[in-house]
Amino acid sequence: MFESFLGGFAILFNPETVVMTFVLMSAGLFLGMFVGALPGFTTLMALAILLPISFFIHPLLGIPFLLGVYKGGIYGGSIPAILVSMPGTGAAVATTFDGPALTKKGEARKALEMALFASVFGDLSSDLITIALIGPIAAVALLLGPPELAAILMMALIVIAGTSSGVFVKGLLMLAVGLFLGMIGQDPIGALSRFSFGITEIEAGIPILPMLIGLFALPEIFVAIEKKATGIIDAANLKITGARLKWVEFKSCLRTIIRSTAIGTTIGMVPGVGQVVAAFMGYAAAKSASKTPEKFGQGELEGVAAAEAANNAVNGPTLVPLLTLGIPGDNLTVILVGAFIAHGLRPGPQLMEEQGPLVFAILIAMVLANILFIFIGYLCIPLFAKVVTIRKSILLPLTLVFAFAGTWVFRSNPYDLAILVIFGALGYLAKKLQFDVTPLAMGFILGAPLEYAFGQTVILSGGQIFSYVFVERPITGAIIVLTPFITYLMWRRSMRLRREFGAED
Amino acid sequence: MASDSATGEETAPGGRYNFNTVAAVVFIVLAAALFFIIPGQIDTPLINLGGAGQSNLEAETFPQIIAVAFFLLGIWYLFVSFRLRQRNQLRDLNLEAITNVLVTLVIMTAYVGLIIFLGFVVGSFIMVFVMSTYFGNRNFILGFVVALAVPTLVFVLFTKPLVTSLPPFPIDEVIPNSWVIYPPLKYLSNKSIF
Repeated sequence: MFESFLGGFAILFNPETVVMTFVLMSAGLFLGMFVGALPGFTTLMALAILLPISFFIHPLLGIPFLLGVYKGGIYGGSIPAILVSMPGTGAAVATTFDGPALTKKGEARKALEMALFASVFGDLSSDLITIALIGPIAAVALLLGPPELAAILMMALIVIAGTSSGVFVKGLLMLAVGLFLGMIGQDPIGALSRFSFGITEIEAGIPILPMLIGLFALPEIFVAIEKKATGIIDAANLKITGARLKWVEFKSCLRTIIRSTAIGTTIGMVPGVGQVVAAFMGYAAAKSASKTPEKFGQGELEGVAAAEAANNAVNGPTLVPLLTLGIPGDNLTVILVGAFIAHGLRPGPQLMEEQGPLVFAILIAMVLANILFIFIGYLCIPLFAKVVTIRKSILLPLTLVFAFAGTWVFRSNPYDLAILVIFGALGYLAKKLQFDVTPLAMGFILGAPLEYAFGQTVILSGGQIFSYVFVERPITGAIIVLTPFITYLMWRRSMRLRREFGAED
Repeated sequence: MASDSATGEETAPGGRYNFNTVAAVVFIVLAAALFFIIPGQIDTPLINLGGAGQSNLEAETFPQIIAVAFFLLGIWYLFVSFRLRQRNQLRDLNLEAITNVLVTLVIMTAYVGLIIFLGFVVGSFIMVFVMSTYFGNRNFILGFVVALAVPTLVFVLFTKPLVTSLPPFPIDEVIPNSWVIYPPLKYLSNKSIF
């Protein structure tokens, strides 16, 4: 694994591509911050509509680009949260507790810079922890055979479906729908055609890209257009005033930032929880540890630092289960799976074995992206502050242009546009009826590897599946037995966090 | 209102018919339909060679498991639904919201036709201009410029550096390849590196 790590440096610093990798990462960070700074436009939407760009470039360029969007988007939400008390993304809601109060006190610049440095600190530290963890976990994952993999995939899907939304059974039903949609096409063992209903265009399966863009980007557009152009914020209110952040002030918040980073990193590894909960938990922990908790909510710099370090620290660790076991922990990483799959790289134990250096190159790029993060964020804060004033009436149609163009270029097939619109309408309907579509997307993506691993297990068992699993593969048996208990514990924990902190993005 | 430990949701005292009940019935019907269409919707191997296709796991086994799980989950959901007190957010939509969503759906459908028949740039121009005007933009010059410039940029981005295809008419003919692709951008193409 260490050789793969070193190989990652060699691939990343290939003179022919290194400049372009960093250029694209910078572009991703810029676009992510831009979209994050737009209230009503989520990081999820940005990732979904920019996903196609990554399909047509080498994964070493495309995946860091998307990771840039991911990181930038989570931070970008803090800008309008601090300036006008409008969180650009759900992850920045906790930032509104102290950010706007600091702006009123004339310390907007300080608050924005604290948000930036805390975000970068949280992100960078959690990225380093991610790299440190991924090697050992991947090494263990490589020892898993098809029965263990099938059991882990099944457990992960049930846990994620159960914890993704408020009602356990609704999550499981969406998972079942996703598994069914994933079966359309060819069965992964015998390659026999299934459920194509005579439609030639889906004989190879439902294309993943239109489905992901439809499910994750279009519903956000539908929600945004429910009301026509709302009042535009006066640009005069968006002046960044006050003194710059001093090293002493940053140092005084360092303990809080480190605590929030630890919280965010832990949350990132737990499926189905995410940035919103991490930010609230980081904020609550900072408040309870403070000697002056009464100052929180009145414009306390530490409050901004706590929330921002925690929400950005989630980003890196969500990749641990994704890259080692092939399990995306949330809707944002589902989109990253789409990017991997488009390049023929299926996240999981084999990916680390076959493409270890490439994976480490991407992870090292992710760490180095934090340096760009500081520069772009620092230089562009005034620009992103103005982004809030851009008319929604102009931006929404442009989002559609990206979504449709990205879908078309996938296969140049008009059917894909129909699939995009159908899944967009389905996603909107699901949102309104309080179904979470994340388990659907996960079922769709993980259904084929689950069926394949299950099929191999059946073959290995020679027809004696129960005795094989519980006698010859005790780890598999243990995972199966433990699944209901783990699911219950995770679900109970997620419910408690939801009740305490809320989890809407 | 009490919190139900089995569902994690706010629940009603019991026996209330609501949108979740309707959704549960729909899921149950779909699951039953799925189970019954399985034999007709899965190919059978033309010849038996005893290979992978003849493994112990038939192509219909996994779908059958999913269909049964789907059905049982539907039944579970049906029972849970009577006690759920979630809000059907479709009911919160006022006339303006419904109109806007439907208009956007119509625009999207028309946009599919427009880009197929008029090309990406012209189709997008019409869509962006119409939609931005409908949703409140009254700065028509800005609307015009944005509607023309952004689709053109997107077209150039996808077709030149990323070497993919979008319905071309009429822009492709007026942009010579020679000045759009220049050396640094060629690295973006999948084919040109590694």
